[in-house]
Amino acid sequence: MGLVGIASGKVLSSFSVFLFLTILLLAVARRISTSVLLFSLQSAVITAEVLATAIQEKLAEAWVVGLLVFVIKVVAIPRAFFVLTGRLKTVRDVKASTTPTQSVFIVALMIYLSYAGVHSYGQAVHVPDDALAAAVALILTGAFLMVSRTKAIMQMLGLLVLENGIFLAALITTFGMPLVIEIGIFFDILMGLLLMGIFTFRISDTFDHLDVSKLRRLRG
Amino acid sequence: MKIVLDLAQVLLIVLCAPLVRGIIARGKALLQRRQGASIWRPYAELIKLFRKEELVPPTSSAIFRAAPAVLFGATVCAAAFIPVLHASALMASRGDFFLLVYLLALARFFLSLGALDGGSAFGGMGASREALVSSLAEAPFLLGLAAVAILAHRAELAGIVAWTLEQNVFDISAVHMLALTSLAMVTLAETGRMPVDNPTTHLELTMIHEGMVLEYSGPSLALVEWSAGIKLHLMLALLVALFFPWGMASPNSSWGMAAALLLYFAKLAVLMALVSVIESAMAKLRMYLVPDFLGVASAVSALAVIFTVLVKR
Amino acid sequence: MSAGATGAAFVFLLSVLGLLVPVILMAVRASSARKLAVALILAALFAGCAVAVKGFLGQAVPVLDFSRATPFSFSLAVDPLSAFFLLLVSTVAIPVTLFGGSYFELHQPEPRRRWTWIFYSWFLLSMIVVVTAGTGFAFLAGWELMTLVSAALILVEGDSEERRHNVFIYLLMMHAGAAAVAAAFFLFLPFSHSLNLSAMRTAGAALPGGIRAAIFLSAFVGFGTKAGLIPLHLWLPRAHPLAPSPVSALMSGIMLKTAVYGFVRFTFDFLAGGPSWFGYAVLLAGAVSGLLGVLYAIAEHDLKRLLAYHSVENIGIIYLGLGTSLLFLSNHAPLWASLALIAALLHTFNHALFKSLLFLGAGAISGAAHTIDLEELGGLQRRMPITGTTFLIACCSIVGLPLFNGFISEWLTFRSFLGGSVLTNTKAQIVLPLMIGVLALIGGLAAACFVKVFGVAFLGRPRSAEAERAVEAPVPMRAGTTLLAAACVLIGILPGILLHPLVSLGQALIPGSGVPEETLIIARVIPWTAAIILGVVVIAVLPKRTQRMVATWGCGLSQLTSRMQYTSTAFSKPIRFVFTRVYRQDRKVERLPTDQPYFPVTISYRSVRTTSFEKSLYRPFVESVVWLAQGLRRMQTGNIQAYLLYIFLALVSLLALLRFQQ
Repeated sequence: MGLVGIASGKVLSSFSVFLFLTILLLAVARRISTSVLLFSLQSAVITAEVLATAIQEKLAEAWVVGLLVFVIKVVAIPRAFFVLTGRLKTVRDVKASTTPTQSVFIVALMIYLSYAGVHSYGQAVHVPDDALAAAVALILTGAFLMVSRTKAIMQMLGLLVLENGIFLAALITTFGMPLVIEIGIFFDILMGLLLMGIFTFRISDTFDHLDVSKLRRLRG
Repeated sequence: MKIVLDLAQVLLIVLCAPLVRGIIARGKALLQRRQGASIWRPYAELIKLFRKEELVPPTSSAIFRAAPAVLFGATVCAAAFIPVLHASALMASRGDFFLLVYLLALARFFLSLGALDGGSAFGGMGASREALVSSLAEAPFLLGLAAVAILAHRAELAGIVAWTLEQNVFDISAVHMLALTSLAMVTLAETGRMPVDNPTTHLELTMIHEGMVLEYSGPSLALVEWSAGIKLHLMLALLVALFFPWGMASPNSSWGMAAALLLYFAKLAVLMALVSVIESAMAKLRMYLVPDFLGVASAVSALAVIFTVLVKR
Repeated sequence: MSAGATGAAFVFLLSVLGLLVPVILMAVRASSARKLAVALILAALFAGCAVAVKGFLGQAVPVLDFSRATPFSFSLAVDPLSAFFLLLVSTVAIPVTLFGGSYFELHQPEPRRRWTWIFYSWFLLSMIVVVTAGTGFAFLAGWELMTLVSAALILVEGDSEERRHNVFIYLLMMHAGAAAVAAAFFLFLPFSHSLNLSAMRTAGAALPGGIRAAIFLSAFVGFGTKAGLIPLHLWLPRAHPLAPSPVSALMSGIMLKTAVYGFVRFTFDFLAGGPSWFGYAVLLAGAVSGLLGVLYAIAEHDLKRLLAYHSVENIGIIYLGLGTSLLFLSNHAPLWASLALIAALLHTFNHALFKSLLFLGAGAISGAAHTIDLEELGGLQRRMPITGTTFLIACCSIVGLPLFNGFISEWLTFRSFLGGSVLTNTKAQIVLPLMIGVLALIGGLAAACFVKVFGVAFLGRPRSAEAERAVEAPVPMRAGTTLLAAACVLIGILPGILLHPLVSLGQALIPGSGVPEETLIIARVIPWTAAIILGVVVIAVLPKRTQRMVATWGCGLSQLTSRMQYTSTAFSKPIRFVFTRVYRQDRKVERLPTDQPYFPVTISYRSVRTTSFEKSLYRPFVESVVWLAQGLRRMQTGNIQAYLLYIFLALVSLLALLRFQQ
């Protein structure tokens, strides 16, 4: 077993702390680049959890999944975001519709709710409470980001955080997913992102800004 | 023997305070690609100030002259609460963290009064802004410390440190992470560092702490500057003691003590480097954004307290 | 002192305050009569202290029974809880009376002064009757007398439309509260068959849940109105500033505490706690009062209104302690409940001390500078050093800084919140430690407010000619404030003096509790802290320094005027800006028209602040009552046929009722 084994055993339970920290910091981040950086940190933590599962459960395909998560979510997608924001030349601000204090209280409430909701389920299925609560909290935070940020890019980011949460929840409850399903989900997300990227470009070209709240002017 | 060690801890915090300021200033200078002053410069400054003549505004009262001494006394007393080398300090086994925080509040109260007694506009401006920052920073300070205390089932600092020493380093506790985040933010606010306040500014309209000390000169100014340094050192030492105390030794072995001292300086160096990086990387927040900053710290510390219940379940 | 001597002292106290002093003052008009009256009041209060100490130490005090002279049973008894509050009344009233002796001589013309002293002694008598009442009738009689006499004291001070309007609101709210208190007493009647406090105590053990809740709610609302809990606090900032300063000191320092006494008597003595929602309701009321009280105080620059709002805040802190205690009681943790109760009672005593001191200081200021508007004061510390130092001690105490008495009670409250984490009930485990944050915020804002008060009033340069000409207060006034300040510092450094008897009071009120060790811890730590701080201060001050008086750097301007200093409004601006939702402000900026629109000659700025409660809570309530009344008015048609119809309908419905009852 050795040190690696012990470390991987501790990872699943302890690392959810870092996920909570990234969630809280996402709630107060004021620049798009900061939010993207936090997203890639989040994905790195999830990669670590996948690798820990791989070592504990001795699944070969989990290694492949971990590699995929790392390459796509920690490296490729954030890079694409940075390139996109560079070419769009929009203002770097996140344009949140709630103040940082309100956002962080809402996110704290959501973390508490995810713990409360997961408690009874976790005891029934013998799953570590912390990690599952982190997954639910990620889902809620992704939804919150989509609702409260009025820039189109931030809504894409919110969808990605949501997907992170779903992935983590699946990982914990099944201790390793079949590779096929993983690849399917990844391609779905990739397609969605490509489409969103194209549309964002076009929107910005036509209207010179990405403010979603101004869509109301398109009403007939 | 224990009492000698406890007194040595207090003297360590008090006497090394200017060195801490000097090292952070030098770190900032290096990050900004400047030469920077020597790390021993604050000592030279204090000695120079103690020798100078003091200028007192004629409209001021005894409060102006008494405030620096009270500030210094309260800060030094607060320094007696922090365990540095071993899991105990002069007051750490009797006094708890509420007394520590309120001693710092006593120091700040008299500093603000001294600022208002100067009779100038800048003192009032500094005191008014400091009132805003400190009134909002007390809640996350106490909540963060309370979260750690609840986990340790003790309120005395010595007890908390002793409990932490028994824990496993690799069991990262959510409560401690959240408490550390909020206490780090409070440290930046309370000690007047970026992004809350710029300690090196010379523009009076941007000053918070510096605005309050504008009227002081000579030995009074030396006491005020020294107290600010002691406060910075003791907050950093508090963070080390509460969250990374491993390495503290028992008073019996002198080799253990020497090792504890070196380890303490190493941890302090890491924190000082972090402070330099944060100060150089972040711009000062606009005054009315500081309540947002402290509001985030409050929410994180409240979450830490809530987590103490969730973790136990 | 034997029991007989104690009884004699008690009778002496009551007779002096009730009969002797008024008679002397009515009969003889010379100033020597007034001096004799003051001396007699002081002697009576000393007797009161002696009686209280005896009762507090657990020794029996004879019961004074006047039932034969009154229509309902009227008796006065001193048990440990009453003794504590009697001690509070007597000890705080002594320095206030000393101060008042000189204050009224200087500031009130003759016919008013005599009546002020008569009402003053009756005011003290009524408060003593309330805290030592042994039957419900005695309590309610004292309660009513308190309201009427304090209203009389305010009206004696002067006459104006505004004064009469504010006193009207005061009387209205006090009577509404008294009705609720009377209801709380009478709800006991079916179960206790008499209004003796001992009968009510035995009946309280076996009350059904619904009656218990009803009694708790009526006691909460009734005593809350008198104490000044939000949203029932509207009379406080109207009544306190209008009374003369010694009377304000008594009202804020002692009268509010009688409400706390009543509430503690009902919930802890009679009802012995209750379900946990009692505790949560009281906690909520305490938290809201504390926060909103201090926020409203920060926005004020009239010193007495500011202090009135701070009374609301401190009552909130006391209720936080009481709510915590109730919560611990409902969770079967008597030791912690006792700690929280001791914290609340100690804060009651401390608040009486430092609030009276603050109001006396305000009186000294108004006597010297003829104004209590902070914007007109400044530089008073150099001109009134003793008044300034005692006022500073009071400011440090109310903020809760270590070495002063406010810190001890706030520390105990904090520790009781922390103790909430050892309970097994999850809700309490989360709520109580979070209250630490609430109390910390209240304390931080209070500190900001008092830096403003002391700094703007006493430090810097005088902002008006009157403040520049201020002179120190006369000796009796200084003596009064010094006594209170000394008490604050004494309890702050040696808290064991009060804590030790309070622990036994806690054990008497909450059966099954022991000695909370926090009380012992703080009594040991604080003297050490004081020693260290004083030691370091002496070392820092000792070396000789050369000092030179030189004017402050004015950025090149040759002369700094007092208008360049920060004003009270400017100081509180950042905090008011952050909490802007709490203050609904109404701002009007008018440019008065001139010939040249681009060079305005006069711009007027008007900012009115109504506390949100008047608009959102009281006005709709008042309007619905008026609407209801107008609807009922339609029944009064003035038409005889209609009235005959009403009588006919009443007869028919009575007959129907009789029919269906069988």
